[in-house]
Amino acid sequence: MSIVDLTSMSESQITIKNEINQRLSKLRNEVSDYCYQCAKCTSGCEAHKLLELEPHKIIALLKRGLIDEMINSEVIWTCMSCFKCRERCPQKVAPVEVLFALKNMAVACGKQIPGNYTAMLQSILSIGIIQDVKSVTTNDNKTKNRSELGLPEISKPVNTTKFQMVLAKLAVEKV
Amino acid sequence: MKKYALYPGCVIPTEQYAYEISIREIFPLLDIKLIDLKNFSCCGEPMKSVNQMLTISLSARNIAIAEAENLDIFAPCPMCHLAMSECKRILDSDEKTKERVNSFLADENLKYEGKSQIVSIIDVLYDIVGLQKISDLVKKPLNNVKVAVHYGCHLIRPSEIGRSDNSENPQKIEEILKVLGAKPAYYPEKLDCCGGLLTSNLPETALTKTGQKLQAVQQQGFDAFVDVCPWCHRQYDSKQTKAGETVATKLEVPVFYLTQLIGLAFGINKEKLGLEFNLSPVDKLKIG
Ligand code: SF4
Ligand code: SF4
Repeated sequence: MSIVDLTSMSESQITIKNEINQRLSKLRNEVSDYCYQCAKCTSGCEAHKLLELEPHKIIALLKRGLIDEMINSEVIWTCMSCFKCRERCPQKVAPVEVLFALKNMAVACGKQIPGNYTAMLQSILSIGIIQDVKSVTTNDNKTKNRSELGLPEISKPVNTTKFQMVLAKLAVEKV
Repeated sequence: MKKYALYPGCVIPTEQYAYEISIREIFPLLDIKLIDLKNFSCCGEPMKSVNQMLTISLSARNIAIAEAENLDIFAPCPMCHLAMSECKRILDSDEKTKERVNSFLADENLKYEGKSQIVSIIDVLYDIVGLQKISDLVKKPLNNVKVAVHYGCHLIRPSEIGRSDNSENPQKIEEILKVLGAKPAYYPEKLDCCGGLLTSNLPETALTKTGQKLQAVQQQGFDAFVDVCPWCHRQYDSKQTKAGETVATKLEVPVFYLTQLIGLAFGINKEKLGLEFNLSPVDKLKIG
């Protein structure tokens, strides 16, 4: 299985897209109506000052159904997942969850995934974790590995073939 | 003696050794036994932006591995703890999704049932072990060092999922530090995010977030900064020099994992607490 199966728009991904669509419509129909645009979410947003993310506007755009505009915009990838908007919204609207759904949709539509996400996903597919063990340096510049430190071997999927089967199902079956 | 499966996740065992070493050192003293299991994978949280179903399935898979051994799970990384707690919340209330996830897991003969509890570092230290027991073990009190506490976002939010402390005014780490003889103090930036999750696509901005918070901490005269998350620690400790460059400041803030400070107060020597891996100027602080 390749990374393409899990991320891009292949025949089998149509079902994934449908499901994310359902998630977005649910958020749109059941949640965005409660938003009264008080912008409390934006006032505490960690990504607002540096990157101009405005979670209240994300909800407003969702309400108007402007999904395509959002998944084509890089701004959805500036959220730091601090969960403050979800925590503080007086109406229990969770802009951060809308952003996750939008990013999932962008990926399912075959949009380019920014930054390191592809590498992390590739690593999960091959060894089960987001990165292999790094060479770790001490503050007096010595390199140490786990066994020198008496630490046990890293826990990873024992049977990689079967592990990949699990992930493959996720990509292919209706998820 | 309580036992837990230790779920180390990805970041701790591949690079943040100081956290793992100090946890393994102090837990036996607190009468907590940690069991190492094979076969774990990523918790899935770092992939939530890519495919949320992948997150849920990976978390369920890890929980199922511990369930097969009848063990509750201790997840020291708050991000893993959040992913698994959210997964549990979803699957325990939604039979259909649970069945679907279990149909994925069947290939590896695994099954999510929902019987294992997931506990965080603060659940263990504050709620399960408790202040009294920690206090009884203190041999070298921390000389009133003035400490800035960083909880990290995932440990305390979203509270709807059940997190380890109050989301707007968390105090459990401060209470632990007081028992150790340190002087935690409030600072207005306490709840600010480290920015670490932007490292994958906007690394400069991530470092700016880190630098801004540490700069504020330094200006307010703190002796030390304490955290409990490997992602946050990587920002504040491992990358402190670079973070300083983004705010044009020479940062010299000693950054510790809480478990390292606990170990020092227990009189454990610093080699055994992985202090050689802290890249911030921890030697500045004459403690332990
Ligand atoms: S999402 Fe919530 S906090 Fe944000 S503008 Fe709407 S009601 Fe206000
Ligand atoms: S979770 Fe994202 S959108 Fe919400 S406040 Fe934090 S950075 Fe802003």
